[in-house]
Amino acid sequence: MAAAARMTGTAAPRLAATLLLLAAWQGLALSGWLFQDVVPPLQTVLGGLASVLSSRDFYANAAITGAELLVALTAGGIAGVLVGVALGSSRFLSGAFERWVNYLSPTPKIILFPVLIMMFGVGVGSKMAMGSVSCFFPVAISIAAGVRGVDPALLRVGRSFRATRAQTLRKILLPAMAAPLVNGVRLGFGVALIGVLLAETKLSNKGIGFMIMEAYHRFDMPRMYALLILAVAFAATVNLLAGRAASRLGGQHQGTLR
Amino acid sequence: MNALLRVEQVSKHFGTRENGVTAVDRVSFGVAQGEFVSVIGPSGCGKSTLFHMIGGLVAATEGRIDVEGDAIRAPHPAIGMVFQEESCFPWRNVVDNVAFPLELQGMARAERHERARHFIDMVGLHGFERNQPSELSGGMRQRVSIARTLASQPRILLMDEPFAALDEQTRLLLGDKVLQIQQELSQTTLLITHSITEAVQLSDRILVMSFRPGRIKREIVVDLPRPRTSDAVVSPAFGAYVADIWNDLRQEATLGLAAADRRRTSAA
Repeated sequence: MAAAARMTGTAAPRLAATLLLLAAWQGLALSGWLFQDVVPPLQTVLGGLASVLSSRDFYANAAITGAELLVALTAGGIAGVLVGVALGSSRFLSGAFERWVNYLSPTPKIILFPVLIMMFGVGVGSKMAMGSVSCFFPVAISIAAGVRGVDPALLRVGRSFRATRAQTLRKILLPAMAAPLVNGVRLGFGVALIGVLLAETKLSNKGIGFMIMEAYHRFDMPRMYALLILAVAFAATVNLLAGRAASRLGGQHQGTLR
Repeated sequence: MNALLRVEQVSKHFGTRENGVTAVDRVSFGVAQGEFVSVIGPSGCGKSTLFHMIGGLVAATEGRIDVEGDAIRAPHPAIGMVFQEESCFPWRNVVDNVAFPLELQGMARAERHERARHFIDMVGLHGFERNQPSELSGGMRQRVSIARTLASQPRILLMDEPFAALDEQTRLLLGDKVLQIQQELSQTTLLITHSITEAVQLSDRILVMSFRPGRIKREIVVDLPRPRTSDAVVSPAFGAYVADIWNDLRQEATLGLAAADRRRTSAA
């Protein structure tokens, strides 16, 4: 990424924008225009970051959010892949059910949270369910499109060499779908994180979302910003890695386009 | 003639009996062991349908296709197909693309790679074993497809306009490569093409198909000396064959063009 920025010459403006943002923040903090501590100066935020990172509390809560996220990705992801493959490979199923997936997909899943609390309790269960429901839709839609996008010429090659059903799935369909799969999981990860954190801020006593709300209620702004920064950094890192994996897989596919 | 591949009274109808198209109409011919036969015809004469039927990917409506008496109902192990469209697996490098059919058979990695390398050398891609298809030209990718099919060691090589997407010079040079391979392996080959030069350059026998319904209109024995190269293209004998076939095809191609025009005007 850094190398690409150097090559395209965007490194300097990017750095300038970052510095400008930090300077503006610091200026606003020192101006005294806003209520004290709403925009704390950078050194205070850094102090908050250090204190969060050195507290055992943070790691315990991060582990809980991480576990919720992992369960959400696994459950929502597997369900999404299965439904996506079914929709993508059957014209009947897609005609009958795909509209429901498409209608429900942009619905904010948080409105289901009360239902999920009643079904899975106020603990981690309802957060996992929130994340799973959120993750399911982009994965299912992306996989369905991926299955339809598999080049029929490659499937014909498999047939001409008399590949078995299992061989066709393992050696042609799955690799051909690797890029949409990674992309779907990437999108699914984003919304699963949103779902989990949002649910934690609504009703919970554990997790990063809970910590953020707790810091807010105590009006501990440096701590709140520190947690926000960490959450954003985590999401950005995972997204970057998944994006790289997807573009590497996608790059291999460009060869087939004429 | 003692044919390895036999096509007997094969027809293919699409659609209903009242309102349908006869793509292939009672086509019969044989291909002997070691022979190179081309089927040539204008676009829309049903030659690709014929290819898919012989490959076992499409069922014939009537008639029978067999390899030494064994009727074709599904892709047959004796037949190796090379497709017109781009068909390399983009996520596999050259050697793993070529080794694909061997991998399906469960051959061990080292052994299948060795066999694959042999055929990669044969199509002139030595040194590109580890390249991804996206790093190769269209002509090179089509050679990978040919090597992949050769690696399965089919008794009959069945090709559908494998060079259709390539430019004329590349076609001629790849034609040389195919000639060389055919001599090396005495590979029985059936080539579907719409290129007259390609057919004359490569074939022992050429079957000329008529435009819709697709029938075999004429059979031409190409009596040019072997081994041949693309140099033969400039010889008077070569030119005479090309002119002769073009005379036959012009009529059919005109019919094809007229049909295409009718479709366009009725659609507009």
